[in-house]
Amino acid sequence: MSSVFDAKGFIEEQVAAIRAAVGEGRAIIACSGGVDSTTAAVLASRALGDRLLGVYVDTGLMRKGETEQVSKTLKSLRVTSKVVHTADTFFGALKGVTDPERKRTIIGEKFIEVFEREAEGFRAGFLVQGTIAPDWIESGGQLRDRIKTHHNVGGLPAVMKLKLVEPLRDLYKDEVRQVARALGVSVSERQPFPGPALAVRCLGEVTPEAVEIVRAACAIVEEEIEAAAKAGAMSLPWQYFAVLLPLKSVGVHGDLRVYGRIVALRAVESVDGMTAAYSRIPHEVLDRISVRITNEVRDVNRVVYDVSNKPPATIEWE
Amino acid sequence: MRVYVVDNGGQWTHREWRVLTYLGVESKIVPNTTPFDEIADVDGLVLSGGAPRVGVDASAMGRNGEYIDRADFPVLGICAGHQFMALHLGGDAKPSKVPEFGKARLVVDKHDTLFDGLPGTFDVWESHNDEVAALPPDFERLAHSENCGVQAMRSLKRPLFGVQFHPEVEHTQFGSEIFKNFLKVCEAR
Repeated sequence: MSSVFDAKGFIEEQVAAIRAAVGEGRAIIACSGGVDSTTAAVLASRALGDRLLGVYVDTGLMRKGETEQVSKTLKSLRVTSKVVHTADTFFGALKGVTDPERKRTIIGEKFIEVFEREAEGFRAGFLVQGTIAPDWIESGGQLRDRIKTHHNVGGLPAVMKLKLVEPLRDLYKDEVRQVARALGVSVSERQPFPGPALAVRCLGEVTPEAVEIVRAACAIVEEEIEAAAKAGAMSLPWQYFAVLLPLKSVGVHGDLRVYGRIVALRAVESVDGMTAAYSRIPHEVLDRISVRITNEVRDVNRVVYDVSNKPPATIEWE
Repeated sequence: MRVYVVDNGGQWTHREWRVLTYLGVESKIVPNTTPFDEIADVDGLVLSGGAPRVGVDASAMGRNGEYIDRADFPVLGICAGHQFMALHLGGDAKPSKVPEFGKARLVVDKHDTLFDGLPGTFDVWESHNDEVAALPPDFERLAHSENCGVQAMRSLKRPLFGVQFHPEVEHTQFGSEIFKNFLKVCEAR
């Protein structure tokens, strides 16, 4: 079915639409380095050239090596861009917060503060975002229930100084990938990663220590699953990651009782993120991930595997 | 061909629009408060699912009743749209004894119309708290599942169809075939 989507036609249409929306003005693009925002950045760059500034926010909540990787990607795309380091601001704002919706809203608000500041410096009146259909659908509004606040929709203030431009609003991830491939975007096949980043993979309070644990666990999950897929032991799931649970359980380390953290492993098959089935990862791969996480990541003595579909669960736990 | 989607606030309303668009149909999502005269010239109408509990919250279903009463084109109700259709036409919708979320096994009872050319049983994706508890007069059941008696129904008098499961999502098998079968009914008129 997906062959019906006309990526080339879409690109022409959206480049023209961005040009029409921004006119003679200037814009910034919120770049996380993922498929959606990078694709939006290339579309906007084609439309606006040097009247566009890419802004990547290092929230302190990104994965291992991510900030370096994203900086490289943005350079290779020849989008003028800057990296804003704001980890202290984000951790400060999230201190003591455990409710998933409050986390998401706070993160959305902090993002917008950064973008408004950067826009002022660049004299930009427009904010381009890589918002896609599930972001506004799941954020709810009117008849539609809120499943979770997506930072690029639900974190926006009621009165915005910047005018929003969202070229990918009607697309799902599989369609964005087609556009990305047509544009030659190197990250077209990258797995989805949520805007609030590791904050929604630390259930309970988001502390630098908790983020460090889940960052290490996510890196192991990615390494092991990608290696197994490369070796032909399994196909690469649509999305795969670790979640740190706000629970402890009893274990034994070298004849001593320990009371340690629990990591959940999540991997799903999906096309558009709107429905998902849990991945049938071979037990050998699960075993390697479990041994590595419980041996290499401090404080974790138990790993569980999430066998829920969406619905009734969602892909990320918060 | 023009087939619109009435938005009852579903998570998958936009997916219905996408499936129809991919099938080459001119489609648009319209609020369920849209006056009937503005959509009277369509060739078919899909009533989306949504968060409203139709049994207790029928007012949130806007003008769906008017669309069903006045349509001279085929109508397909999905989830809440299906439940509302049953309730509005004299059947009943109630909380499910065992609500279904995610994967369920569909058993087809009648293969004509919606399930034409499809296997007798296949996997579908569900997300519902309520279900059709009694068919309206002159309706027949087209499919069921272990925990839901009416997974699909149709009127014997008018081109009205309802499905409890979600043919618009990727994880439902033969979803686009079910839409194609509905579009055949639209085309035939």
